[in-house]
Amino acid sequence: MSDGTDVTSGNGAPAGVPITKFDDPHLQPYAKNPRRAEMLIGAILLIGLAGFCAYGGLYWVGGQTQWEAVFGGIGFFAFGFGLSAWGKYLLPQGPFVEDRHDLKSTEPEIEAMAAAIEDRGKMVFRRRGFLGTILGAGAGVMGVVITFPLIRSLGPQPKKTFDTTNWRSGSHVVDLDGRRIHRADLEVGGSLTVFPEGHQGSGVDQTMLIRADTKDITTLPGRDTWGPKGYLAYSKMCTHAGCPVGLYQQVAQQLLCPCHQSLFDVLTGGNPVFGPAPRPLPQLPLEIDSQGFLLAQAGYDQPVGPGFWERS
Amino acid sequence: MRKKLRVRYLLPGMLVGGVAVAGLLTSGASVSQAATPPAPKAAGTVALKTATRAADNIITYHVPPSSYIAPGRTLFELNCSSCHGVDASGTARAPNLQGLGPATVDFWVSTGRMPLAVATAQPVQKPARFNRKETLQIVAFVNSLAPAAPDYPAGIPKVNLSAGDVVEGNSLFVLNCAGCHTITGAGDALSNGFFAPSLHKIYPRQIAEAIRTGPTQMPHFGPGNISDKQVADIVKYVTTSIQHPTNQGGLGLGGIGPVAEGFIGLLFGVGGIMLVAFWLGDRK
Amino acid sequence: MSALTSRSAGRIRGRNGTKATKPDPVVAGVRWLDERLGVAKGGRTLLDKIFPDHWSFLLGEIALYSFVVLIATGIFVSLYFIPSAKELIYHGPYVPLRGSRVSAAFESTVNLSFGVRSGLVIRQMHHWAADVFVGSIAVHMCRIFFTGAFRKPRELNWMIGITLLILALTNGFIGYSLPDDLVSGTGLRIMFSIVLSIPVVGSYLATFLFGGNFPGDGSIIPRLFILHVLVVPLIIFGLLGAHLGLLVRQKHTQFPGHGRTEKNVVGSPMYPTFIAKTTGFLFVTTGVLWALGGLAQINPIWQFGQYEPYKISYAVQPDWYMGWLDGALRIMPPISWTLWGHTIPFVILFPAVLFPGICFNLFYVWPMVEAKVTGDRAEHNLLDRPRDKPRRTAIGVASLTFFFVLFAASSTDVLANYFKVSLNEVLWFFRFAVFVIPSAAGIFAYYLCREMSGVPGIGRRKRAVVITRTAQGEYESVSTAPRPGDEADHEELLPTPVPARIELNGELESVEAAGSGVRRIPRP
Repeated sequence: MSDGTDVTSGNGAPAGVPITKFDDPHLQPYAKNPRRAEMLIGAILLIGLAGFCAYGGLYWVGGQTQWEAVFGGIGFFAFGFGLSAWGKYLLPQGPFVEDRHDLKSTEPEIEAMAAAIEDRGKMVFRRRGFLGTILGAGAGVMGVVITFPLIRSLGPQPKKTFDTTNWRSGSHVVDLDGRRIHRADLEVGGSLTVFPEGHQGSGVDQTMLIRADTKDITTLPGRDTWGPKGYLAYSKMCTHAGCPVGLYQQVAQQLLCPCHQSLFDVLTGGNPVFGPAPRPLPQLPLEIDSQGFLLAQAGYDQPVGPGFWERS
Repeated sequence: MRKKLRVRYLLPGMLVGGVAVAGLLTSGASVSQAATPPAPKAAGTVALKTATRAADNIITYHVPPSSYIAPGRTLFELNCSSCHGVDASGTARAPNLQGLGPATVDFWVSTGRMPLAVATAQPVQKPARFNRKETLQIVAFVNSLAPAAPDYPAGIPKVNLSAGDVVEGNSLFVLNCAGCHTITGAGDALSNGFFAPSLHKIYPRQIAEAIRTGPTQMPHFGPGNISDKQVADIVKYVTTSIQHPTNQGGLGLGGIGPVAEGFIGLLFGVGGIMLVAFWLGDRK
Repeated sequence: MSALTSRSAGRIRGRNGTKATKPDPVVAGVRWLDERLGVAKGGRTLLDKIFPDHWSFLLGEIALYSFVVLIATGIFVSLYFIPSAKELIYHGPYVPLRGSRVSAAFESTVNLSFGVRSGLVIRQMHHWAADVFVGSIAVHMCRIFFTGAFRKPRELNWMIGITLLILALTNGFIGYSLPDDLVSGTGLRIMFSIVLSIPVVGSYLATFLFGGNFPGDGSIIPRLFILHVLVVPLIIFGLLGAHLGLLVRQKHTQFPGHGRTEKNVVGSPMYPTFIAKTTGFLFVTTGVLWALGGLAQINPIWQFGQYEPYKISYAVQPDWYMGWLDGALRIMPPISWTLWGHTIPFVILFPAVLFPGICFNLFYVWPMVEAKVTGDRAEHNLLDRPRDKPRRTAIGVASLTFFFVLFAASSTDVLANYFKVSLNEVLWFFRFAVFVIPSAAGIFAYYLCREMSGVPGIGRRKRAVVITRTAQGEYESVSTAPRPGDEADHEELLPTPVPARIELNGELESVEAAGSGVRRIPRP
């Protein structure tokens, strides 16, 4: 509460400013025992100081991640906690109030603002409407063509890039190191990531080579020769969101995609049996040449990977 | 300073691997050495077909001596035959073990997966029921029933860890193993109740066995797929970087990545600071 | 409180009331600024500005200060990061990677982690700060929502806040994708597929952005870098300024209470109280993040290795704040349409593009929707208690639960592994849970609010009633005195305006303008 006395010095002190006595309860600290609070806050601030010093010293001798975190953390935390506690417990507790002046302007002011826009706007467009149209059209076209360098210049058009891979008729099946895969290499129940020769490590060409027991395989129509000696090759790019389908479950004979848990059945042409994948994994037709090496009969018969607008 | 930290993790890892191998040699003192192989083990029992790569002695394969067969029969009859049959040929409850080879049996028994405690979809690793000698006796017995099929190793692998290259092992692990076991070897769930187990408590020998025998859903990686040298590389990598990861950043949080990190960040980060806010502000 | 300290007055005054020669430096300083910027009048208004003290008003500050930490640590980190996908051979201290081909982005991040003093702490601190930033925005947003602080005149600020949330999510995703490691690279692969799924323009946008079919020509890394350190932070900075500026202009809301009305603000003044508390809070936030930065490992990219498009790991969830989208992607049924030579992969388009679009649009229009539905178009500066608006609270609880279930759905594999249940069953559970659990939570919240607001004296300890029996056999009930501190009308100070001048030690001095000495004001 102010005692309401005005100060009228006439020099530098504004009239009508209330004076508050220092023992006003609003100015008292929040702490019931300010001396004790002071000691405590002082101790906390000292801990902060010590933390900073410790961090500095540790840094000087080379540092160690965990202790840097402990010292720096303690330093900052105690420093901040002490400062906050000072603000909460030792400074005037209040509560203080201020008025919210009306945010809104008065009705005449609002009308005057609207009128300013309207009346002057009429002066701009009076009998010059067609200019405005041309200006607007220009702005519109500007807006459109500005996006050309911003977006179009970034990269190439897709064209056919999603439709084909580097697998061709006669491509040797090789592993990541470029070693040609021989029919004797995989055991039944084995799996390997393979590529067409010359394109090891290529994302679109990545293929899962699996050897299943021939008696378990259900050949789909038209795919009778695609899986010689139980070797099945499926595109490793998930048809859901493109993650490599690297989990081969050899007893369940399923490929599991780790990203969103799509399950593909290996024995029935890569058919999705669970999860969000909407299409089977494209199968690569294999053959075995006279020396026993695995080759692709042809490339994939459809685009690999996730769906896109142009995919028919 | 940083290099020292690196060595701090590597050396114990290699020591553990070395001790494990040494333990195999000393505690099972009657495991025969490569010098005096019994009949089924001939040179090149690693791959019973021609491997496309040069043979190497990075992994040697051993079988227990024939004196283990008789005590092994007893142990098998007591502990295994109720499900697998007296001649291990399988019943409705359990598969045929004949022809799976010593490495398979050693893996399942020494990791404690067998004998089975609870019939879930997939047996879990638990403390082994039998000591090393007893395990080898069971191995010897099952192995005596039928020779190992061609696509299974004919002996228990012993990995020469010093020949393994951790860098090669890293890239092999990422390509072949991380998809199921996760990049940190923490393990994760497969479909229909199956799972890829954590790799944090497995011996080098058992890693090689798993790779070569493809337990449960794990693919069966033969020497034409992953050579012995590559197996040694993977074992080296798992026993060092997977089992003793460089967690220089602090608590590893289980190695499962953002799920655990989000939990900690929200609980301790946001929650912790909110506690301070609760203290600092008013309650009304 | 423009306090006049007796110390400075003493300095000016001299011993016996004689004229002093040295002007008060504070007055001189204020005058210097005022002559150039005119700050004296407006500045005092600023110093007197009142901030309500409720603890839930500090949640936005957590976001603000974690942003400050992000900027500070981000500057540090960006001094070491090389935003290039160019391949080189790793020769650094981490042995399992030696000799392997990695990108410059990856290598520089590993180098920062192992080869720079305090590099790992600050790098991890940056990442933790991002997680906490988004988390605190979410918590702050909940507070705004449940207390109705978004109502007129604060709808604009709400919309700015939603935009800030979107930008924070975006920058976080971009940020953790920069090191080009296996886990974040997988996230970029999924991002590519999401862009690809957009009808008509998807394939174009995707190849434009990445420079070709995934993984592109390597230009994605430097592009994401400049978005992450320049473009998005600038926009966030600007919007944050607007967000705080609106707060200053419209003043903070407050809960109803003693002495509080729609037309005033009750709390602590800016100087010195609020500045002390809030600066302390900044350092507390920094301290917590610093401690996390070295005690809890986050994003150990050296363990993940360089990203290649044929590599994958399991348990590859995105950072937590993207989990709701990942969960939506997992539980979506496999719907894809192929018509007339074109494919619309709805299975990706809906959860990753349309669904977040719908959600954020709903967030944006909520103030208008609520105003229309309730018919309440009045200006509100007093907040609601959530229990007083049961419908809004129920909808908020249901929405929050919905997002939470989606988050949980993003860790189906981890949950299945941890609880040893079938992955397939976990997924089916979430497909139903995502509808059932939020509905149940919303209904429960509604009735809870109704219950709580209906009971008088709720939240306060009840007074004991002593029942005595008279000798005649009558029963009398006597209310006991309330326990100390429980009095409903215990003496509370009424709010008072910020004192302009404080009388110290029984004497009031007035400091004269520099040069003309001091006049002693007679004590009133």
